[in-house]
Amino acid sequence: MEGSNLGVMAWRNIWRNLRRTVLTISSIAFGTFLAVISTGIQDRNFSEMIDLAARMGGGHVTIQHKEYQDYPTMSRTIENCKEITKSALKDKQVKHVVTRITGHTMISTAKGSYGAGFMAIDPLKEDDKTLSIIKNIVKGSMFATSMDRGIILGERLAKNLGAKMGSKVVYTMTDRKGEIVRGLAHVSGIIRTGAPGIDSGLSILPIDSVRKILGFSENEAIQVAVFIEDQRKSKQVAKRLSKKSGTGSATLTWNEVNPELAGFISMKIGGAIFMEMLIAVLVAAGIFNTLFVSVMERLREFGIMMAIGFSPGSLFRLVMLESLWLGLVGLVSGAIVTAGPYYYLASKGLDMTAMIGEGGSEVAGVAISPIFHVGIFPEHAALIAGAVFITTMISGLYPAWRAGRVVPVDTIKLV
Amino acid sequence: MNDIKQVPVVELKDVTRTYRQGDVDVNALRGLTLTINKGEFTAVCGPSGSGKTTILNIIGALDVASSGKVSVEGKDLSSLNRRELSIMRRDSIGFVFQAYNLIPVLTAYENAEIVMSLQGIAADERRNRVMDLLSEVGLEGMEDRKPHQLSGGQQQRIAIARAIAANPAVILADEPTANVDSDTADKLLDIMETLNRKRGVTFIFSTHDPKVMDRARRIVRLIDGRVVIDENRKNN
Ligand SMILES: Nc1ncnc2c1ncn2[C@@H]1O[C@H](COP(=O)(O)OP(=O)(O)OP(=O)(O)O)[C@@H](O)[C@H]1O
Ligand SMILES: [Mg+2]
Repeated sequence: MEGSNLGVMAWRNIWRNLRRTVLTISSIAFGTFLAVISTGIQDRNFSEMIDLAARMGGGHVTIQHKEYQDYPTMSRTIENCKEITKSALKDKQVKHVVTRITGHTMISTAKGSYGAGFMAIDPLKEDDKTLSIIKNIVKGSMFATSMDRGIILGERLAKNLGAKMGSKVVYTMTDRKGEIVRGLAHVSGIIRTGAPGIDSGLSILPIDSVRKILGFSENEAIQVAVFIEDQRKSKQVAKRLSKKSGTGSATLTWNEVNPELAGFISMKIGGAIFMEMLIAVLVAAGIFNTLFVSVMERLREFGIMMAIGFSPGSLFRLVMLESLWLGLVGLVSGAIVTAGPYYYLASKGLDMTAMIGEGGSEVAGVAISPIFHVGIFPEHAALIAGAVFITTMISGLYPAWRAGRVVPVDTIKLV
Repeated sequence: MNDIKQVPVVELKDVTRTYRQGDVDVNALRGLTLTINKGEFTAVCGPSGSGKTTILNIIGALDVASSGKVSVEGKDLSSLNRRELSIMRRDSIGFVFQAYNLIPVLTAYENAEIVMSLQGIAADERRNRVMDLLSEVGLEGMEDRKPHQLSGGQQQRIAIARAIAANPAVILADEPTANVDSDTADKLLDIMETLNRKRGVTFIFSTHDPKVMDRARRIVRLIDGRVVIDENRKNN
């Protein structure tokens, strides 16, 4: 008997008080829905932000001079970029490897001078998969070659400088000896991202032009940026690459290069865990209440059952099976309720422009898209299902124990 | 009947049961000695509070004697642990209570079958026994009804069928007819009596209804927790 019959009895028992059971199942389903959607938004956003951070900064994994992180000067360079690139590309997680010179510059026109960050790149090797803002070029285009005489400016910066397409600008930077050097360029592109920090403070230059001005060899750069398949593997990839890339260099992950963003994300993940614990407590309270009340209503019935030969253990199992059913039906309902909105949010997304505003927003220099998408990591979905399930079973423990402790002589008298 | 060798099923020796209620001790049983033999059809009667329910609960391993010896089928109940008592109730005792005996979510058929399932009896055998018994108690065709779709008397018949199906040493019925009208009570007693005669099932039932008492072949009268009359009646 045990297994099958107890399971059937438990199933019928949960439907004895339809209203109560429907309420409990709805609360489990709603809890699951909230947990999946909120975790899904976070997972997707963080993935996007991290990928974006990688595509704006130094990739998922950055190889640079070991002192550059603390003392970012033009004297701390990587001198064997080609070898590093070649060996990094052998790793199967690695998708793209690019070489860059980054730093600060002063850009001047007749109207004035403004400080800005610069990123010198190889236009033939980079596209928006390695440098996201390439797709934000609203006027002009990417350089034709790495020796191009052009410069691409943020829209706000260009406006401040009074520079238009084709205008001549002078950029000044410090070379490895600390000497001031300067270059001449024509504005060949304008970028508009919506993120104020970028639009007013970034310029892009062709790498070989900058190498010439700084006196770098053609195999020399500030960083080698590595882009990988799955951002969550950054740490492992960094570990593998660091073994190959020599003692003078440091191999860092995106979060080591961009600690502000990493801090923001871990704070948000902390928030998500708090949210999930809150949901768990709500689910647990609902199930506990349902089961406890229903056990207290059935004390006489349990007394009769024990009198005719049910063991305390089988009554315990009966109530545990009832919580199992509640949990399973709740999870299935949760999946049904969540599926529609989830697929909508995963494919179309929710446009939050109205709430965030046209100006866009940024975190630690990374622009955030105003469209919310979901994309939960499979292991997080499994975790939520597991948590709901375990919460259900734990909530059933006390009511089940109480059922097994029934004293028939006392309860059978209660009619 | 006296010429047939009698096999004791239930033996009580100097049994007392004292309940502590606040500061006072209530002596529900005060040294009760009684032997019930296989195949007997016994009524336990007496005024309210005389100890009828208490004695049935003690025989059925639901309650524990404060002193004295209780054995069922030769097994001393005081030597059994919780698990063994549970198995004793399942295999050796059948219970029929005053009312609401059935498990509400199970059908008539399933209720009649449930104790056999607990005993691990095969499905075919369960089916045979249940179908036979349901026709014996006059409930064929009502297998699929839930308890709330049955009258009080019909529910009691299912409870009797359930108890007998499990093939116990003794069936204990505490005022099984108290909640039904006298015609229904008569029919229930007919059923119990027939089963007792045909199958040799041992019944002990309590009652304070003289008409019900009259149907018994042995009457044990309690007053204040003691046996005052124990008589065998002519086998009518
Ligand atoms: N749990 C208990 N706590 C205290 N006293 C109890 C308890 N159960 C029974 N008693 C007392 O024990 C005595 C015997 O009770 P019992 O229920 O056996 O009587 P009864 O013969 O079945 O009565 P009735 O005909 O009213 O059912 C009564 O005085 C009763 O008050
Ligand atoms: Mg009584």
